[in-house]
Amino acid sequence: MAVVQRLRGQGTRIVIFLIALLWVAPTLWTFYETFVTRGLHFTWANLSTAWQSAPFPEFGLNTLIIVFGLFLVQSLFGAVCGFVLAKQRFFLRTVFFVIFLLQVVIPIYALIVPDYQLLRSFHLLNSRTGIMLPYATSGIAVLAFYQAFRGVPLEVEEAGRLDGCSPAQLLRHIYLPSAFPAMAAFAVVSVSYHWTDFLWPLIVTSTNHARPLVVGLAMLSQASESGAQWSLIAAATVIVTLPILVIFALFSRRIVQAFSTTFHI
Amino acid sequence: MTRDLPSERGGASASPRPRAERSSRARRLGKELLPVAVLAIPAAIVVTFIVVPAITVLIHSLFAANALGDVEQFIGLGNYQALFASPTFQLVWINTLVYTVLATGLSMAVALVLSLLLHRRRMNLATTFSLFSPTVIPMIAAANLWLYFTIPGYGVVDRVARFVGLGQMNWLGYPGTAVLTLVLLFTWKYAPYYAFFLIAGLQAVPGHVRDAARLEDKRGFMTFRYVILPLLKPMLLFTLTLSIINAVETIDPIYVMTQGGPNNATNFLMYYLYNLGFNYFNWGQADALSVILAVVLSAFSIVYLYLLERRSFLWQ
Repeated sequence: MAVVQRLRGQGTRIVIFLIALLWVAPTLWTFYETFVTRGLHFTWANLSTAWQSAPFPEFGLNTLIIVFGLFLVQSLFGAVCGFVLAKQRFFLRTVFFVIFLLQVVIPIYALIVPDYQLLRSFHLLNSRTGIMLPYATSGIAVLAFYQAFRGVPLEVEEAGRLDGCSPAQLLRHIYLPSAFPAMAAFAVVSVSYHWTDFLWPLIVTSTNHARPLVVGLAMLSQASESGAQWSLIAAATVIVTLPILVIFALFSRRIVQAFSTTFHI
Repeated sequence: MTRDLPSERGGASASPRPRAERSSRARRLGKELLPVAVLAIPAAIVVTFIVVPAITVLIHSLFAANALGDVEQFIGLGNYQALFASPTFQLVWINTLVYTVLATGLSMAVALVLSLLLHRRRMNLATTFSLFSPTVIPMIAAANLWLYFTIPGYGVVDRVARFVGLGQMNWLGYPGTAVLTLVLLFTWKYAPYYAFFLIAGLQAVPGHVRDAARLEDKRGFMTFRYVILPLLKPMLLFTLTLSIINAVETIDPIYVMTQGGPNNATNFLMYYLYNLGFNYFNWGQADALSVILAVVLSAFSIVYLYLLERRSFLWQ
């Protein structure tokens, strides 16, 4: 009986190993083809060809600015709005709540046409600001901070007030520290969403000036598909995925944890 | 507000009543208006880019538009009729339906199997990395990998096929295999991510329930069917909603891999909307399709949010 169970445990382990191997194979194989020549020698040649075929530093900088700029603005708006909604009763409170909920519910995917026309009328096409602006307020951030701030016990706030804290000081010294887990979790959600977001930056940009990595990569693979420069596509994909895979390998446990927090798991 | 305090105190010592009253009224007004002022800019951004466009797109969908997108004449449901009358769109929405059913079905099945295999083990770094690396890379990069794999004659799929004695195959060149490739790509990218949610759901099944069930039912099928599955249902529903939203929003791999072909077999709703608006400049039908997508996706988002919120009460 115990033997059967142990065998079964081993069996499960082997099945998991095989599935994991199957899942990582496409990525590993592409890395192998990029870095290893037919004679089994390590090579940078494919990578450096791909690096020169498109302005990757520019794409990377655009991605960094868009992703972290958005995260900062969304967190700032989220913290301030979450704080006000959690701690104040005021005129139009429900209306604001509904507005922020609408941001969560209506996906921008369905509104690309009117939003494009809107950006055109603002003369913000082909700019990083144009890519970021529609996303600047995140309803998820507002809700996350709202819940975090509501969880702060009233006694703590009163103690701070008795010590002569201004509302701004209360926010900084009492509320923000207690909202830190929510913010870390939101960071993972926001950054992973915007760094992989494709359709909206594709529509807004028309030159490499404001294009993020993901759009640049798509352009490159579309352009080289006709010329059949297959190794170029593989190497360019390696350039784009290598940094995130390294980060994920280093911090996988923390990233998984942050995700769990966001979804209340 | 802090600056108000000293002046109020000073005022109270000079002429107590009127000043204090006025300042308290001003303070009360400030208390009402300050939050509104603070929330105004973030809310204005949502109103400008989400609420107003949603309303204008609804109104515009009832009007004929020229190629520049200027509204010309009220035509009622004309745009919707034209949209549904077009043979391409009839193909597109059926394609999307088939793809959504296959992609959600397969990815959910794989996610369920993965979660049942994994939920009682501590995953080591290599397994975590292997399974979740598709989750963290962008869909465009994933599509590139798969494009590279399915190149006729050169990609690894064909090389393996040749090795076992099969001929080469243009996977993206035939309607059936092109859709199949996209479904497999979707499953590869999302199934571990969905499994992640299901694992959390399974871990919430209390240990004593599981132990009691194991005593009664050695092989575990009945336990799974009558104990685990009902307890997992909320999380399954949540993941299913998430996968439907992801499948309906699919555009990245189509842009990179198939451009809607062959013969419009992989032309799905989002890709069609993109073409209507930005390649055919058919703004009237684009507006109509936007309204349909907004309604469908918002409905699923509401279910998603509802399940997310309800679950957090259910499991904690």
